[in-house]
Amino acid sequence: MITFEEIYAHYKQKIFRLCMGYVNDHEKAKDITQDTFITVWEKLPDFRNESSHGTWIYRIASNHCLRHIEKDRRMPKGEMPKEIKDTYHPEKDKETDGKTEFLYKCISELPETDRLIISMELEDIKQSEIAGIMGLTESNVRVKIHRIKEKLTQKFTGYEE
Amino acid sequence: MKNNTDIKELWNRKKAELPDSSELIEKAGKFRRKSLSRLILTNAALLLTSLFIGFIWFYYQPEMITTKIGITLTILAMISYLAVYNLMIPLLTKNHLTDSSAEYLQRLLKIKQKQLFLQNTMLNIYFIVLSAGLFLYMIEYTSRMSHIWGIASYAIVLTWFLINWFYLRPRSIRKQEKSINEMISRAESYRRQLGE
Repeated sequence: MITFEEIYAHYKQKIFRLCMGYVNDHEKAKDITQDTFITVWEKLPDFRNESSHGTWIYRIASNHCLRHIEKDRRMPKGEMPKEIKDTYHPEKDKETDGKTEFLYKCISELPETDRLIISMELEDIKQSEIAGIMGLTESNVRVKIHRIKEKLTQKFTGYEE
Repeated sequence: MKNNTDIKELWNRKKAELPDSSELIEKAGKFRRKSLSRLILTNAALLLTSLFIGFIWFYYQPEMITTKIGITLTILAMISYLAVYNLMIPLLTKNHLTDSSAEYLQRLLKIKQKQLFLQNTMLNIYFIVLSAGLFLYMIEYTSRMSHIWGIASYAIVLTWFLINWFYLRPRSIRKQEKSINEMISRAESYRRQLGE
């Protein structure tokens, strides 16, 4: 039986990136990541191995992202416990990170559900699993991913020129 | 961006410093206790008020039937408010976060529509029953007062009622509606995205 600590260690950065692709805001993404793992912690005793851990965690994370607007209202900043200090300094990383920032910006400008789909694709989640997480058919996911990648490639071509 | 690997490489560069797992578990516990204490507080406040009203009945032994009906109505209003409030809690906290996003959004929509209906209907019933109870309750005591004091007492209660009904109630309904409707329209638009 996998423990919460193991899950957290393995998935925290992955889930953070998914949230970051969704909101493109470092602090908000951290909040949603933490909310996701709080849910994971609460629901872990009920987890039955019907799906893989990954699928299960990504479902929780995706739904947390989708309900983000609701939470924004319900839990005003300051009500959640204090953040620990953040050592990430975007300004310290240079050039290539300009591209990284651009990538996340582009993704966060896509329609909401597309943001989640492409983020999971970039995390190497199988398309059949993405379909299960989002409640779509596999072919639908394939088509969407193809279109999203096309859009991103176009934007990047513009960026690099 | 030449190919897929490039995007993946860029994508994987993002990292955040996140609290360690023990800290997170502690936060989860704190948050849960906080929501629980709010629930207990609301229940306790309304139950104590009901008990206090019951005590008045017992202690002052009202003679007129209108007073008794008034007291019963007031307590009923508060108890029914509590009942709905407590019934809403599992509806809102049983969050279905482990469902697929399509199912989650569908559930969310239903819950929000139900919440909207319950809140508005309940608020109206609560106000009407509470005010009716108060008006009836006052008959016995105002009848013992001089005319002027009797009229003054009713005028005060009527003002309280009018302010509540025409100002506070619509304001509270509008506020709730706004946030719930916004959530509903978001959820609908996400569902449309998935349905494409």
